[in-house]
Amino acid sequence: MQELKEFACYVFPAVMFITVFVSIPFLMCIYNSFRKWNGISKATKFIGLKNYHKLFTNDPTFLHALGFTFLYAVCVVVIINVTALLLAVLLESNIKGRGFFRAAFYIPNIISLVVIGFIWKFICIRVFEQLAVLTNNPFWQQSWLGDPRLAVVTTIFVSVWQGLGFYLIIYIAGLQSVPDDLMEAARIDGAGTFRRFFSVTLPLIMPSISFCMFYSVANSMKMFELIFSLTGGGPGDATTPIALDIYNTAFNNNNFGYGSAKSVVLFVIVCAISVIQVNFFKSREIEA
Amino acid sequence: MTLKQEKQIPSVIFVLMLFIVVLYLLPLGMMILNSVKNYDEIMKNVLALPGHFSLKNFAVVFQDMNYPLTFFNTFVVTLIGTAGIVIFGSMAGYKMARVKTRYSRLTFLYCIMPMMVPFQSFMITLVVIAKAFHLTNNVPGLGIIYWGLGIPMALFLYQGFAKTIPYELEESALMEGCSQPRLFMQIIFPLLKSVTASVIVVNAMWIWNDFLLPLLVIGGSREKKTLQLAAYTFMGQYKSEWQNIMAAAILIIIPALVIYLIFQKNIIKGLVAGAVKG
Repeated sequence: MQELKEFACYVFPAVMFITVFVSIPFLMCIYNSFRKWNGISKATKFIGLKNYHKLFTNDPTFLHALGFTFLYAVCVVVIINVTALLLAVLLESNIKGRGFFRAAFYIPNIISLVVIGFIWKFICIRVFEQLAVLTNNPFWQQSWLGDPRLAVVTTIFVSVWQGLGFYLIIYIAGLQSVPDDLMEAARIDGAGTFRRFFSVTLPLIMPSISFCMFYSVANSMKMFELIFSLTGGGPGDATTPIALDIYNTAFNNNNFGYGSAKSVVLFVIVCAISVIQVNFFKSREIEA
Repeated sequence: MTLKQEKQIPSVIFVLMLFIVVLYLLPLGMMILNSVKNYDEIMKNVLALPGHFSLKNFAVVFQDMNYPLTFFNTFVVTLIGTAGIVIFGSMAGYKMARVKTRYSRLTFLYCIMPMMVPFQSFMITLVVIAKAFHLTNNVPGLGIIYWGLGIPMALFLYQGFAKTIPYELEESALMEGCSQPRLFMQIIFPLLKSVTASVIVVNAMWIWNDFLLPLLVIGGSREKKTLQLAAYTFMGQYKSEWQNIMAAAILIIIPALVIYLIFQKNIIKGLVAGAVKG
């Protein structure tokens, strides 16, 4: 009994704050997703599955946000992981100033996403315009934020630019943990550079890869801030991700019940993807 | 491959990497370059060097953003948030590592579950709850909300590390009549310092740069804004006065950059520790 009391003393603050700021809001969100509520009035009305029904049958904005989020996430996850791994391999190949390069690539990561959005808005609007004048190249003359398709490309590019350094650091740490004698043995056995990379290095850094995949997927599925300041979700709703759509529904259109239903859908999607990933990578990790 | 060729490869990669890094950081260079120009110079040619060097834009932005106050607000939020996460996270994480019963295991699972829940899926009702507790429009209140969001990850790291501390240490301290709170504060907590460093670094950077939560719970009130919130409002107001926007961006980046340059080693260690455990 004494022990239980002591345990409770240590654990209580953590449990309480998690309950108040995560569990209760989350459960209330599920509850509200079955109701009609404008967020201001006390009266809310139970409307069953109507919110969910509307989501998938009568809300082009949400469906578009869903599609954009998946497209964005797939592109960012693939590009960021491949680029980071490639750079990490280059940086591991015994060159001078490794620490400097690593630190330099990490700099965009310490800048808040809102500020990154504004810097790139400036680049896309003013600098590209200047480059177009200078080089007369139609590439720069395109409207990188104004055209719905190009705006998608821009958001993906800027996200990769911003996040790259983080994944680079994780991959470098992973590569450093690959034992030299194993690489040496493979070399003596006649394995070439590529063979060594795919057959020795890659399986050994699986933990780093699975972490980076996990983290980048979760991050891109809930991307909000960068897009909020870079494109504002536009032009139109071309670059509106689910998170921004939830925000707009709840806080701009005061539709808390409907927004809650969208939140629950986001949660279910993120959860499903996480479970799939855990199962996928669990079976592929090996010990050195 | 001859020996000579093999020696040349690293320097080729070095030059290549140098080129990539310069290109990579060029946008930030453009930001710095244009923050010291005036409006006409930016309109004429963004790539050109400024006619004469001036810090006028910084003075304008410093005053317009009410920089000292917003800086102070952000500092308070970050301090309160990080301190609470470290204190409550370490207490709970340590106890959950020590007590090996079913209820301890279940509480642990309950506490780390939020790591799976995306913030956006409960933010709507979080605002409602925060309002009920009078934590909206309230700088320390914002810091307190971060406790609930940050503790799960911290607790997870602390629990993992505390498991590796030998129990004999505590036993002998308790035998010599050390009280439980003292045992934790003077013996256990100092032993957890490597985790504490990671937790502080990761959470402080996150809270300092976070935008969405301040937007939701502080919103429009001018004298309670954090740096990121002020950045968004003022950059929106300036619209095409890019010289001011770039100067504001630099003023907002500098504090984080200074911290990064000082604690660079810890930050990288913290990230890797979090990743390997996580």
